[in-house]
Formats: sequence, C-alpha cells, structure tokens
Amino acid sequence: MVRKRREPEPEQSNKKQEKSDQERQNLAISLVPAKLQWRCSVAQTTLAFPNSRSIAVGEGRGRREWRVKCSSGGEIEKGAVNFGPGSPVRATNILVVGATGTLGRQIVRRALDEGYDVRCLVRPRPAPADFLRDWGATVVNADLSKPESIPATLVGIHTVIDCATGRPEEPIKTVDWEGKVALIQCAKAMGIQKYVFYSIHNCDKHPEVPLMEIKYCTEKFLRDSGLNHVIIRLCGFMQGLIGQYAVPILEEKSVWGTDAPTRIAYMDTQDIARLTFIAIRNDKLNGKLLTFAGPRAWTTQEVITLCERLAGQDANVTTVPVSILRLTRQLTRFFEWTNDVADRLSFSEVLTSDTVFSVPMAETYNLLGVDSKDIVSLEKYLQDYFTNILKKLKDLKAQSKQTDIYF
Amino acid sequence: MNAANTSVYSLSSSSNIKRFLFYKDAPQRSSPSRLLLAPRASAPKDSKNENDEIQKQQPSVSLSLDDVNPVGLGRRSRQLFDEVWRKFSGLGQISRTIRSDDQEALDALLVREGPMCEFAIPGAQNTTVLVVGATSRIGRIVVRKLMLRGYAVKALVRQADQEVVDLLPRSVEIVIGDVGDPAAVKVAVEGCNKIIYCATARSAITGDLFRVDHRGVCNLTKAFQDHNNKLAQSRAGKSSKSKLLIAKFKSASSLDGWEVRQGTYFQDVVTAKYDGGMEAKFEFTENGDAVFSGYVFNRGGYVELSKKLSLPLGYTLDRYEGLVLSVGGNGRSYVLILEAGPLADPSQSRLYFARISTKVGFCRVRVPFTSFRPVKPDDPMLDPFLVHTLTIRFEPRRQRPTEVNATMNQDLRSFKIILEYIKALPTGQETDFVLVSCSGLGIEPSRREQVLKAKRAGEDSLRRSGLGYTIVRPGPLQEEPGGQRALIFDQGNRISQGISCADVADICVKALHDTTARNKSFDVCYEYIAEDGRELYELVAHLPDKANNYLTPALSVLEKNT
Repeated sequence: MVRKRREPEPEQSNKKQEKSDQERQNLAISLVPAKLQWRCSVAQTTLAFPNSRSIAVGEGRGRREWRVKCSSGGEIEKGAVNFGPGSPVRATNILVVGATGTLGRQIVRRALDEGYDVRCLVRPRPAPADFLRDWGATVVNADLSKPESIPATLVGIHTVIDCATGRPEEPIKTVDWEGKVALIQCAKAMGIQKYVFYSIHNCDKHPEVPLMEIKYCTEKFLRDSGLNHVIIRLCGFMQGLIGQYAVPILEEKSVWGTDAPTRIAYMDTQDIARLTFIAIRNDKLNGKLLTFAGPRAWTTQEVITLCERLAGQDANVTTVPVSILRLTRQLTRFFEWTNDVADRLSFSEVLTSDTVFSVPMAETYNLLGVDSKDIVSLEKYLQDYFTNILKKLKDLKAQSKQTDIYF
Repeated sequence: MNAANTSVYSLSSSSNIKRFLFYKDAPQRSSPSRLLLAPRASAPKDSKNENDEIQKQQPSVSLSLDDVNPVGLGRRSRQLFDEVWRKFSGLGQISRTIRSDDQEALDALLVREGPMCEFAIPGAQNTTVLVVGATSRIGRIVVRKLMLRGYAVKALVRQADQEVVDLLPRSVEIVIGDVGDPAAVKVAVEGCNKIIYCATARSAITGDLFRVDHRGVCNLTKAFQDHNNKLAQSRAGKSSKSKLLIAKFKSASSLDGWEVRQGTYFQDVVTAKYDGGMEAKFEFTENGDAVFSGYVFNRGGYVELSKKLSLPLGYTLDRYEGLVLSVGGNGRSYVLILEAGPLADPSQSRLYFARISTKVGFCRVRVPFTSFRPVKPDDPMLDPFLVHTLTIRFEPRRQRPTEVNATMNQDLRSFKIILEYIKALPTGQETDFVLVSCSGLGIEPSRREQVLKAKRAGEDSLRRSGLGYTIVRPGPLQEEPGGQRALIFDQGNRISQGISCADVADICVKALHDTTARNKSFDVCYEYIAEDGRELYELVAHLPDKANNYLTPALSVLEKNT
C-alpha cells in the first residue's frame, strides 16, 4: 500500500534550482558526507569557523590531539524543495527511526493505535525486531551509518520521527552525527513534510559531553535545513529506572548510585509518545523547540529511597562518589584505547554540577491542550510497577507451593 | 550430576581431585560408570597417605570442585568485573543499552498485555476476535489495535496475496475465504469469541452488495451461533447465547393453550347497545399459518390472545432480556401484556404492557423487557423471573393507517396477524458482534438506495440473530489519525460530518467490552461546530484523560434494541 512518490532526478532538480535562483549555489544536498561540519582532524590547531564550537575530547600524551568540532553554518539551502507534481503522500504515513528503543517502541505503539501506518527503520541484524511486526508496523532494514540505505526507506513517507541514539558502546559519531546528518539531508531532498527530532534537555549547556554536543548540533543542523520540524528535548525516562534500581532491589542485588545533586524530572515514555503526536498534528508548533519534563525532578538518592519504600525492603546501595567517576574519566582520557570509555563516562561532568533537568511544563501543557493530571508521576509509576510485580511474584510462589507436596 | 558426584569425591579422597579434573575435561566425561569406578580402584593403593591428606585438606573440602576450576574462575571473575563495570559506567552515561533480559522483564509489564501498558485490557488475552475485512481501511487499524491490546486475532481475507499478508501483523491467524461462502465462514468462526465485521462491497453491483453487506453478515451470525451452540452442547447444555423458544406455531396442535378473550376497558351499558360487537378467532389455516384475526367495533373494546407460559425445566426468563416475535399481518399495532407474580397466588399478579407495531407482511419485532411498563403506575418494574402469562391484545385505539394501503379505505378496527414464533432473547454483558455499517452520507445518490438497502438488510439479520450486537454507522470515512476531534453519537440519521477510520476502529474495539454498547445501533461522526446558541447536540462526555473511555457515557443515553 505504499504509494510511490516520484523519485527526484538529481539533474532536473539542480536545473530547477538554478533557474529559480541563479545566485544560489547548487543544491547542497548530497549524501556524501563531504560537507559535514564535524571535523575529526589530527591537526594541532583549531580551525575557526563562524558559530562553531570545538571540544577537545582527549589527549594522547601530547603526541596526538583529537579535535571534534561541530558547526552548523548556512551551507544548507533553505526553502522547501519542490519536485513538481506527484501523488500526494498520506499524512498518516510515518517513519520511526530507532523504533526498537525504549522510547521508540512506545512511539510505534501510540502511532499504530492512533491509526497511523508506521514504518520502522531498523538495522539489519540476525534477530529481527519481530515485535514491531507483531503489532502491525512495517519494518525496513537500513543503517544510518550507511547513507546509501536511507533514501529507499523514505519513499511515501510524510513524517519522520527520529528517536534513535547510538548505543553507548558504539562510536558516537557514526550514528548520532553522520547518520543523522545523512538522514536529515535525505529527508530534505525527498520532500519529507515533517521531521521530529528528540534531543536532550540542557544539551546547549554541556558541550563537554559528546552526546549532548552532537544533539545540540543536530538541532542546529535541522533548523538550518529548512525542513518543517519539531524538536523535543527530553529529560529522563521512567522506564530506565526500573532496570537500574527497581529490579536490583527486588532481586536483592546491589544498587549503584551516585551522590550527585543532579535532579532529573523523569517522564513516562508513554506520556512522551502521547504528547508527541499531539504536537505533530499541531501546525502551530512547526519549527518550535519543546521540552518535555516529568512533574517533579528527582535525585538518584531520592529515587532509591522511593524504590526501597515501595518494595518494602532495604536496598544494598553502593554509592559511588561523583569525584571517582570523574577521576576515572580523566584517567581513561590519557590513553587512546580508552577514549571510548572516557566518552561514555562524560555524563559525570554534568553530574558534578547541580544542574536540574526539569522545566515548568504548564505552558507546554497549555500549548498542547493536555491536562497535567494525566501525566504520570514517578511515585505513581513505580508504585504501579511494584504492586504488579509483587503480585506476580506472589502468584508464582503460590503456584510453586502447590507443586511441592510433602508427605 | 557432575556437581553431585564431585562433592562425594572430594570428601572421600583428595588425591582424586586431579584425576577428577582430568575426567571432567576429558571428552568421555559423560560416561558416569567410569567416574564411579575411579575412586574405588585407586582407594586401596595408597590409603594411608590419603587419610593424612584428607585431614589436611578438610578446611577446603567444603568448596566444590567447580570453584577450583580455573576456567570457571576466570569466567566468573570476568562476569563479576563486567557487571561492576557496567553498573559503574552506567552511572556516568546518559543513554544506556538495555540488556535483553532486562528488556524482557520490562516488556512483560509494559508492553505485552502487561498491566502497565496503557492499552492493555483485562481479559484480552483470553479473547479471540475474528476481524472480517481485515484489509479494509477500518479493518487494518482494528487489527493493529487488537494486537496492541493483547487479543488473539483471526482475520478473514478474500485472497492471500503476499501484499495482503504483509499488511497484517505477523501473529494474526489468517483464514482465506469469502463471506458469501458459508463453509469458509464456518472455518473462520472456529474458536472465536467475538466478531468485528468491517467488510464492505467494493462495487455497487447488486450481487456484490447482497453478498458482502447482507449475506455475509447473515452467514457469519449463523455460523457464530452454530459455533456457540456446538460449544454449549459439548458442555452439555444450550448456549447462553441462543434464544429460548417460547412458542412456535407450526402445527395445529401448537395452538393448544392459547385462548381468545374479549373485553372492554369501560362498561357503558347505554352505548354498548349501539356497538357493532367484536369477534376474534385464532386458527391454523390450510397454508400452515397460525392466524389471529377479527374485528373490534366496540368503543373501548379489545380482543386478546393469551397463554400461560410453560418454559422448559431449568429455564427462567430472568436470563433473557426481551422477546422477539416473528409475525406477519396487515400492519396493526398491538399491546403485549405480561402477567407477573408468584404462580401460587394469582391475585398478586401484576400486569405490564408494551406497545408493538408491525409492518404489512412479515417482520420480526424485538421487545426488550425494559420497555414494559406497569399497568398500575405504582407497581415496581417488571421482573422477568416472575412472568407467567403472555397476552397479545388488539384494540382499535391508536391505530395508524399503514402507508401501503393508505389509498384503500381500510377499516382500522379489523386486524389479522400471522404468528410464526415467539422467542426470548438471551442477556449478556457484552456485545458479540460489532458491525460497521454506514450512514447514507457520502454515497453517490444514484447508488445510495441500493447500498443502504443491502446494509440495512445485513443489520436486520444481525439484530434478529440473538447475538449481542453493536452496529456502528459512521459518516463518510476520512484517512486521518484518530483521537483528534470530538465525536457525536446519535440515533436517527441526523449526522452531517465525516469521521476518521481510526476513530471508527477505536469505537469497534472499545465496544467489545462495553456493556452499554450491547444491542445498540448508532450513528457516529465528528462534532459539527454550530454557531453559538444554535448547538444541535449537548455535550455528554468530555473526558480527555488517559483511559479516555468516552464510549460508555456516550452510549448510555442511547436507546437499546433499535
């Protein structure tokens, strides 16, 4: 049922552009990452770019210096690209990138439930994401780090929802920067009508954390691309807390936490998905930057205490001082082969500051027409989780008792 | 098994540790006989030394041999380190990889029909829903919604092209067949608890319309009832979904017990002299019809046909929610009277009445028990459990001339009714069959009549099947995401707007477990935004909350059994 959108022929489109605007340069949309603004050079000097940032990610004992640079200059053409008539794309056709992730799967479910035709861009892998197909989504195989695989997935798509983030163990640049740039350029070239991008709250304030820096640059890149877009900055997922704290507490394993004063306003991914679709359908929000945060900001210690109370048992908490995390990060930065590790620990820089990952949401609720009562609070969420899981455990125990017959 | 043996050896002789390790790593360690023989063979050799050694080694004896295995130790220490490192590094990260086992634990609660999934519906796991027309605009969304909620879904599709199969989620069970083919339909309903019918004819060809919109519904209701009955029989009993036969007039003897009576509402001796009298008879004709006919020329007079009900043993009417009569005649209206009270004491009986109108020719009339009103206004509402007598009364008052014979000079005081059967409709909590029909809007005028005729015929066949039904008549369908705009639920062909497919699908799915949706037909469309002061509708429900169950309040104000 995929309607074919006429593939643009590159020559034609170039001609049109020249005709319409002689002064402009040729269409700067290419899938070859030649004009990417990330520079990864071995040069000692920092190249100066207008409105660019540079961060030193690591130093190899003075011999080598890694420069990671990000800028979003005005190199991308503005304005929508019109390729003439083609059969219109239905507004219900969406592509979800990163559909297997914590947020992605909720986005897919929400979209399916609201009647969208959902296509999921999934990396080719030995164990395919069957659950997506079980719910009724279409799965296409592509890899953001292989730009040539992207265009085919965008045929007939109206809206792209991008909730992909590279895994921590992957080199951060390939997916999160180069892949995203390729995707945005491709979306632009193929006339995608809306692009939703998930970013991280406060990403503009912490350029020292590579992931946040990349997200911030992608935001800028997207804004400059001229695509119709919505950027949504997120704080933290409640779902993540379950694996991190709730499950270990129930299993009486040790829980690791930091003594960081950082507060995060966790939010239920189901709520995020719900709000996202309200935002997508609201044309007034085009090009806007929204921040979604939960009702209250929590520190790690508070979350652990809450879990303990709800589980009815004390947790075996191992508190790691943030200073140790930082020290580890500093240490690992000295060696090239541990640079990845250093990158991974970079969030500890944020943890040392007492940043609060939260924003007042009243305005956003108003904008979206949502009642703040419908947003799940962390207490409620964890309580639901523990009552359900404890009930399940009880059932299991009851079952096993029935099988143990003593004479 | 190895582990168990190990502890035995380590206790009996320490010198065997090495030997055992050797065996353990050797390829033939799976042969237990050799292992068992080994310590005995070596025992007599140097028993003295061993005894000394045993005492030396006593403290470490409690360790099992697996603990000493260097390979295992290495692996375990690495696991331990990895675990610690994972947790440690997790603290300094924003995003983290969720390990597959964590993800599974999460999914069990959050995604797969888990209690914390916002879509989950209790009881969905045990319900199999047959979606007919699963590839239609509404059907596709219905299937997805059902899958998200954890239902088992069967889909009846006409063709099994790869393209069609790809449209459906993978775990949907696909049955290939046409709704017009009773055999295929029979296979399809096998094991199903509920049916959602959203197939429509693809053309306006009468044959197509008849096959899909009318015959198809008919076939499915029949097959579904058969299936229910079969299940019930295997449990030694009639299905709770089948109707209860109260009277069937198929032979002369079936008229026994019915008595014809006449009477007047008021006694006026003077006028009675000038009245033309009344006459009524109930007879079995040569054509095989049971006919109740006659005339009432008296003012305030009536004639009635009455019988003491004798239900099969073990059946009471409280498990039923109404009566369905199959009658033919000349289109008069009648009053159904139920007499209810303790059988032992007829003086305590109370009378309840409901007015029914018939059409010229044959028709089926559904009369829910809730529509019976007490004759004496002070009496309590009808309790079907106590009903013992059924009466059909004709009175010349309030008769309306039928349209067909309007030109003819018809005497409204005469009547004729052919009775075919009277059955009781079973109650149920939920709807069994959701039918997506259409309101006449948005169809080209040239074919509207045809389409509507077929659709209405389909609706009728569902209504008289005795299944719990919900008939949804949406306005013109639009391909939009659902849940965006307010909906209007109405009865009586007054809607004027379109509706998105996704909203219709949502209503279908919600109706499955909604007690207020049972036995209702309604139109639904987007809200019509009227000018101030000229609103046509009142706001019944405004619930923009998470559960968002708009259906119950919206439907509870609508009429049943229409």
